[in-house]
Amino acid sequence: MKEYSLDISVTPPKEYESYFVPVPKEFLEDAYRSDDFVVFTGPQHGGSGHMRLIIRVKGDFIVEVIPDPGYVHRSMEKLAENRLYIQNIPLFERPSIIDFGNYNLGYVRAIEDALDIEVPERARYIRTILAELGRIGTHLYDAGILAVFLGHTTGFMWPFALREYIVEIFTRITGTRITGSFVVPGGVRRDVDEKTLDMIKRMLNALEFRIKKFERVFIRNPTTIARLKGVGTLTKEEAVDYGVVGPFLRACGVEYDVRVVEPYEAYDEIDWDVVIGEDGDGYTRFLVRVEEVGQSINMIRQLVDNLPEGDVLSDSIISFNRKDIRGSFFEAYADIVLPEGEYTTLTEAARGTLLYSVISDGESTVPYRVRIVTPGWMYLKGFMEACKGHRLADLQAIYGSFGYFPPEADR
Amino acid sequence: MAEASLIFILLERILSIFTDELINIPLINPAVEMLLKIPFLNVIVAFILWKPIFHVLILPGLIGMTLVLLFIIYFERKITARVQWRVGPKEVSRRTGGVIQALADGMRYLFQEVIVHRDANAFYFLQFPLISFLPVLLPLLFIPAGGTYGIRTIYTIPAALALISLIPVFIVAMGWASNSKFAYIGSVREAFMYFAYEIPFLLAVVAMIVLYQTSDPFEIVAKQWIPGAVMNPVAFLVFFITVLIATSRLPFDIPEADQEVAFGPYVEYSGIIFGLVMMLPYEKLYLLSMISVILFFGGWNGPEIAILGDLAPVIYLYIKTIVFMCVVSLARSIYARYRLDQSLRLGWGVVFSMSMIALIISVGWMAWLRL
Amino acid sequence: MVKVVKSPKDGLIRSAAGHLRAITEVAKVVVSPGTITVHYPRERRKYPENFRGMIMFDMDECISCFRCAHICPANAIQMYPDAEGRYFPGIDYAKCIFCHFCVDSCPTAALKQSKIHDVAYRDVDSMNVSPEQMNTIPEIVREDSVTVEYDFEKDIQLVRKKEFENLLVEVEKPERPEFKAVPQYGENCIGCRLCMFSCPVNAIKSKLEETKVILETDYERCTGCGICVRICPTEVLILTPIEREGDHQ
Repeated sequence: MKEYSLDISVTPPKEYESYFVPVPKEFLEDAYRSDDFVVFTGPQHGGSGHMRLIIRVKGDFIVEVIPDPGYVHRSMEKLAENRLYIQNIPLFERPSIIDFGNYNLGYVRAIEDALDIEVPERARYIRTILAELGRIGTHLYDAGILAVFLGHTTGFMWPFALREYIVEIFTRITGTRITGSFVVPGGVRRDVDEKTLDMIKRMLNALEFRIKKFERVFIRNPTTIARLKGVGTLTKEEAVDYGVVGPFLRACGVEYDVRVVEPYEAYDEIDWDVVIGEDGDGYTRFLVRVEEVGQSINMIRQLVDNLPEGDVLSDSIISFNRKDIRGSFFEAYADIVLPEGEYTTLTEAARGTLLYSVISDGESTVPYRVRIVTPGWMYLKGFMEACKGHRLADLQAIYGSFGYFPPEADR
Repeated sequence: MAEASLIFILLERILSIFTDELINIPLINPAVEMLLKIPFLNVIVAFILWKPIFHVLILPGLIGMTLVLLFIIYFERKITARVQWRVGPKEVSRRTGGVIQALADGMRYLFQEVIVHRDANAFYFLQFPLISFLPVLLPLLFIPAGGTYGIRTIYTIPAALALISLIPVFIVAMGWASNSKFAYIGSVREAFMYFAYEIPFLLAVVAMIVLYQTSDPFEIVAKQWIPGAVMNPVAFLVFFITVLIATSRLPFDIPEADQEVAFGPYVEYSGIIFGLVMMLPYEKLYLLSMISVILFFGGWNGPEIAILGDLAPVIYLYIKTIVFMCVVSLARSIYARYRLDQSLRLGWGVVFSMSMIALIISVGWMAWLRL
Repeated sequence: MVKVVKSPKDGLIRSAAGHLRAITEVAKVVVSPGTITVHYPRERRKYPENFRGMIMFDMDECISCFRCAHICPANAIQMYPDAEGRYFPGIDYAKCIFCHFCVDSCPTAALKQSKIHDVAYRDVDSMNVSPEQMNTIPEIVREDSVTVEYDFEKDIQLVRKKEFENLLVEVEKPERPEFKAVPQYGENCIGCRLCMFSCPVNAIKSKLEETKVILETDYERCTGCGICVRICPTEVLILTPIEREGDHQ
């Protein structure tokens, strides 16, 4: 197609000077001169989550996408410097609200690593059950958001109804629906009784019954496949170069899972598979997560069947009742001081690798610095690169297939 | 005295024009006859019951369409909720299950402010939603309903389709008058979708006309000893899919994609104008459903009901239209949204070839019937 | 082990079959829906006993140990003095995150959980709840006559019972021994008498013997709250558990 250039001086509209535009002015002028369109998909938009995306569009094809994250930045790392070690547990589970098992685990394992606390068997199994339930909940939530971005309203309502099953189990175990703050250094806060364990097994059967229906309506729906197949492809080398993590890296063919590389809690005592895909497009990323839900259900069944008897609180913690921290919470945790040094843990959260790093100066009851890097922040670059060359309507599909969650990435 | 008698003679002449073609409903005939004796009121009553005016104004015209609109929005929300494991709207009048929800929404729109933003072309921005009622109400003149009709011609179906195909022009114009980035993208998409569905749609209708060998709706309805959908199911399938594209329903609601272009050409409207503009796809669906019922489902055929007289065929057509609209509104809960180039490819690939197959089937039927 | 997922291949028949499967699945749901709605507020969802709702306070059990105010991650607990100089906690529900660290820290189960989760306040200032208000259920309008509980039996079941749920929960006292404050390291005492002034029940007395101040605890009065232990700059006092037979040091 031949392109003709007209010698007319084009300037960006005057409104861009009064708006706060987080891109340099040369970018806008360059775009207008070369006949591209700059679209702001801002925080208040049906299809962008809470994040601003500045899209440069040529006709219907995206040239590049510049993200403007930080709309929901809450400065968690700075807030953590003024709170006791135990008071940071409810703070650091807020980025990903259903996946609180993994977010608690990362932080608490760093403290246990510093204080050399050994966790009893039963507590490790209970923590793994919480982590896997959180993984299922997050994958269901992401499937719902993907369906909303594709316009499939039933595919949005059904996973959120299924998430209600997971949340009901959380209520029976921890007492609250989400953000349980249940994992503490040395174990968990309460014990789980037989009635709840039986209910977990029945809930898993009910979940599988309804996920089969969901599969027929949304996952194998030809419109979904048409929207996601071949869209936002990342090759293996590109994915590793851009630092993509989690199931999105595994969908490109890389076999990396923190639960296999550095096992923690009870992951090396049960039998499970790492799920990888080969194509690296949007549909494979979605299918990998669907299969992980099946794997998690399998894992929870094994954990509930083989749950060992014993205490749920370690002997290194001051507690008067080894099965319930109620009444001795203050004596156990209010004054802990970590020895000097830096303690780092890696955890496999639902959306990828989660890194915690606690630096202590050896004498205060508040940490000197806590560093948390969430998976959303790590794969943001890969997400932006995957959009290049696709149509404007594919941006939403790629967003949904990556499961980007701004509160998690912005912390 | 002469002027008074002149007026009376004029009124007599007008009354006689009306009473020539009054609609005959034995149920209310006694009341009508009593009212016809009162001097000035009888003109008004005869006017309302005159066949063309009854058809255009009451049923299936303006009042019928309003009732259907109020009902179909409520029904769509309820059926989508049922599929999605929840309960739809039920609080507005709790005892009846929330039936007047659409009326409550309409009243709320009346109280909202109509904002005309600085960049818009204010004259066209406000006028186009009102002018767009023209291509919506005009086809009602042509489409007959058994006993009543507006204008009787043998070219009804082509005339109605020609008027219906004006509606996308108004939608594109509304997006243009809004002068906003997302409205512009939405209008361009609407224009593209118009290209996608028009040819297979017309081919499916032509297939049915070839099958019946006439385009006069009275003869079409008389010839349907089995419904048209059974005679040529491929044409029915093509018609159904193109109705979905034409009225911007999922899986083809690309111009008004809420997640991509934030509602497309209608994004800048608010207040009661927004209410009017939201009704446009549903009105188009109403008209297309009527045409589909005439072509495929036997129109106003049905058993005779003595007391309703001329009203019975009208009511049969009305109820069949409502049923067809309800089935179409179920498609919203099954599908995601296609992309623009995918739907264009579908329209010119699969759906176009299916419409050619429908044409061949019709020619086959015709050859078989002639033999 | 590794499991590889494969995307399905394209094909007209495959996609037509996919369409049919989706349509029949939706048609099945239209005929027999699987509604899981709880018609709040006419029905109320029944939660288990350990549900973390609003926090109830029993003034007779409280020993004014200030543990709840110290541990709260959101700084939502404010201690209010009464006429005798004892302090009781009041919670600011605009800040509370319902983590129940305070309930877990309370040594005498004076703070306990309840199942109330849906209270609305008229303005932000009235969300600062005082200890007297925490004694009873707040004024809530209850329109429910049916409780719904989720249960799972092959598919989810909504178990509906016609009952008016009691939102208060009975809790037992936590298992912990009784503590008393003992002036163990008397040689460190510098005589600042902060312990005397801060004791809520006036259980510590000091005597001046020549140049040294000797502390004495009245073990009948001491409640083991630990404020004197925490406030002493030279760590003179420690909390010692008493044995069950009443033998204490």
